[in-house]
Amino acid sequence: MAVSGSLPAGGAASPAPPAARPGSLRRHERLPTLIATLLVAAPLLLFIVYPLAFILGRSFSTPEGLGFDNYATMLSTARFTRILYNSFEVTLVSTGIAVALAYAFAYAVQRTAMPGKNLFRIIALVPLFAPSLVQAQGLVLLFGRNGLINRSFGTGIEIYGYWGIVISMVLYVFPYAFLILSAALAVADSRLYESAKMLGAGPWRTFRTVTLPSTKYGLAASIFVCFTLVITDFGNPMVIGANYNVLATEVYNQVIGQANFERGTVIGMVLLVPAAVAAILEKYISRRQYSLVSDQSRPLVIVPNRRRDLAFAGLSAGIAAAILSIVAVVVYASFVHLWPYRMTFSLRHYAFDVQNGIQPLWNSIYISLMAAGIGVLAVTASSYVIEKFKSAVTRPLYFLSILPAAVPGMVLGLGYILAFNDPANPVYLIYGTLLIIAIVNVYYYHAQGFLIASTSMKQISGTFDEASATLGGTRLQTLRKVTLPLIAPTLIGVAVFFFMRSMVTLSAVIFLITPQTQVAAVSVLLLEDRGATNQAAAFSVCIMATVIAALLLVRLGLRVAGVKGVSLIR
Amino acid sequence: MSLRIREVVKRFGSLTALDHVSLDIEAGEFVCFLGPSGCGKTTLLRIVAGLEQADGGAVELDGRDLIEVPARLRNFGVVFQSYSLFPNMTAARNIAYGLECRRWPKDRIAARVAEMLRIVELAEHSHKYPAQLSGGQQQRIALARALAPDPSLLLLDEPLSALDAKVREDLRLEIRALQQRLGITTIMVTHDQEEALTMADRIVVMRNGRIEQVGSARELYQAPASRFVAEFIGRMNVLPVEAADGGLGLAGRPIEIAIPAGGAQGTPTVLGLRPEELRLHPGAKGNGGQGPNRLPARVVQSVFLGNVTHLVLELDEAGGAPPLVAELHGGAAVGLEPGAMLQVELPAAALRVLEWR
Repeated sequence: MAVSGSLPAGGAASPAPPAARPGSLRRHERLPTLIATLLVAAPLLLFIVYPLAFILGRSFSTPEGLGFDNYATMLSTARFTRILYNSFEVTLVSTGIAVALAYAFAYAVQRTAMPGKNLFRIIALVPLFAPSLVQAQGLVLLFGRNGLINRSFGTGIEIYGYWGIVISMVLYVFPYAFLILSAALAVADSRLYESAKMLGAGPWRTFRTVTLPSTKYGLAASIFVCFTLVITDFGNPMVIGANYNVLATEVYNQVIGQANFERGTVIGMVLLVPAAVAAILEKYISRRQYSLVSDQSRPLVIVPNRRRDLAFAGLSAGIAAAILSIVAVVVYASFVHLWPYRMTFSLRHYAFDVQNGIQPLWNSIYISLMAAGIGVLAVTASSYVIEKFKSAVTRPLYFLSILPAAVPGMVLGLGYILAFNDPANPVYLIYGTLLIIAIVNVYYYHAQGFLIASTSMKQISGTFDEASATLGGTRLQTLRKVTLPLIAPTLIGVAVFFFMRSMVTLSAVIFLITPQTQVAAVSVLLLEDRGATNQAAAFSVCIMATVIAALLLVRLGLRVAGVKGVSLIR
Repeated sequence: MSLRIREVVKRFGSLTALDHVSLDIEAGEFVCFLGPSGCGKTTLLRIVAGLEQADGGAVELDGRDLIEVPARLRNFGVVFQSYSLFPNMTAARNIAYGLECRRWPKDRIAARVAEMLRIVELAEHSHKYPAQLSGGQQQRIALARALAPDPSLLLLDEPLSALDAKVREDLRLEIRALQQRLGITTIMVTHDQEEALTMADRIVVMRNGRIEQVGSARELYQAPASRFVAEFIGRMNVLPVEAADGGLGLAGRPIEIAIPAGGAQGTPTVLGLRPEELRLHPGAKGNGGQGPNRLPARVVQSVFLGNVTHLVLELDEAGGAPPLVAELHGGAAVGLEPGAMLQVELPAAALRVLEWR
């Protein structure tokens, strides 16, 4: 899902040699294959499948043994039906709006000659740098009871509830949709557009018959990605939802509020189904995205068109303003004395005289650094083994690697409590430490990291391995001297990906933190919940500053090292 | 080193890529596997290299069975069609790669790399990365890399097919000269008959997973064992004939052939004649059969190619016989424009039987 979506090296001149059939391995290849497969399979089974099995089991456990009682009880309550309906209502509406806006914005960036494209592109990605509940936080500061608008103009705008959730969700998922659609719109075959023009098609007809069909897979993929993100997000509805409950907040309420793990797991399982279906459809569809452009395609040359460019610039400016105003008001709130009563400049919220002080931010940074390191190691190993050690279990291993894309973060986190909060389990040794939080982040984001690494691994022609083998190189020599140096730039991108997501995520970590291992994003949520608006804002700003500083640092490092063409934001 | 391929079988699912292929290659020989795509030539090379595992049969190097020896321990040099130079290493480091894998001492590696660069005449490009080299230069570095560890066999997988025509021609001769100088046993896979004819000591023509014929370029051209070989090596006029009056007939006229000695294999059904072997008699029009195997024909098309001209001829009374192609040298085709009538002679000595019944 890189902005600079490079094409897989498909359609090469010679047909790829057919893959070795499982079971036909030479004797001397069997043992290394077995060892490599086990090394990769073991952590995937331990940190993904095992917790999920626990949560599944717990959802069926009743005082009278295993059964459907928990589900039956839950499904028959009017409250649950209401929540289920709410979730889908919010999710479908937010997804529709977000994808439509992102399509227009991506179209403006990729297909028009409007000014300031690079700036717009960066602004669109800003929400990725912020904790995942910053949208609701900003909306409350702008339109809430004590918000800027209502206080300044005496209006009675009621932002809490349905519309608050929808707006914050649209802004939250916008960058994800933009990244996918921008990549889809970036590739175009000018021959099709010239043909359409020669045949007398107007701009609208050309859009309907050429542009839209050629981006339909990107469009579908972005819809499914947004759907999953919205239905599983709980930070924004927690802050702005008021009495409008959704599935994700209900899991939290049941587990944290009422300590009812059975109910929590049942709702988690209910949440898992639509998320999994959407994730599977997205994977199925995204496989077809690239075949539309052949190597004979010629890139589209964009001809300026004053009216069109101005219209799109206007629209893009509107969206950019909305994104920036959220961030701006949070930054502003972090620097005023006491929102909304004493709006004078103050640095006192950066003293962090709250419980634990600044420690959660450091925790977040440690966790994110660990997640970056472990994440790169994990996804490199799994993509390497899946690419290079073909065996009967290659497909199941691939499935395991992308399985987390279908699992809501809260469900995975809940699974970790159930599975590992048990002194009999060896993982209990790290339970309650920063390490387990880093690990849950690694496996929650495993699918995306893995796909980035494995795409890059696939682009390295298999003939390099063959060339190395015929020159006398062992697998390890090939890995060290050829494969790793070639994918190193991508791995830096993967590290940044894990770092960024771990800095801003709430959902997987929310059940695993202890007072000692609290992370910054959770601090924002708890402070916001307590009404400590200013401190919450200050924490958000610190998270954003950390992420941006890390990005700039890596960028600088890459420039010094002379490495080009690495997409860091995914 | 001599190589023996015995009864090698390879299947991909229901497709039999190699069907009991056997072949002996002498030490120092340059052998070409030639055939259309899908004939199994690349698969056979990959099995020899150890990059693919045979489902049956054996590959022996100087009597030693290689089946359980992995590619990296075979000590064969392989040059791939796609160059496949490591893009993260300079030309010199690419050449050194095989030597580093064999843990040669540093000074020996440096000396060997310099020597190889000198042999392929790219010494001044040693510090360039593959992306900074032309296709021809990359392939020469690939050749140097394959030869640096002093392999016992050199395997070339369509090494020239990605290059421009001119570069290709130069490199053909260069590779051949190098091979002869080093005396290294070499197998090259190609689908380009000209490449095979110019480079190989022996050519192995393959089709549908089997060896169709093995022989020198001259043998294959002059005595093709089958219609397939005849049409694949050079150009061949294919003449379906029928039995007539105890002899053979083409387009209703009797045709004489010189039956090869001991060739009592039945009745010939298809004859072949090389385009340069047709004789034209422009003066003689009409039906006058002055001499055997002379048929009235009409020029349909004349293709001027510089030193040669191809004339497409239609037999006058041909009942569905395919048009013939005659190849004329120099100015011999002057005045033979489309529409011209003439007599074409099919010399009995040059006619060969491609199919029997």
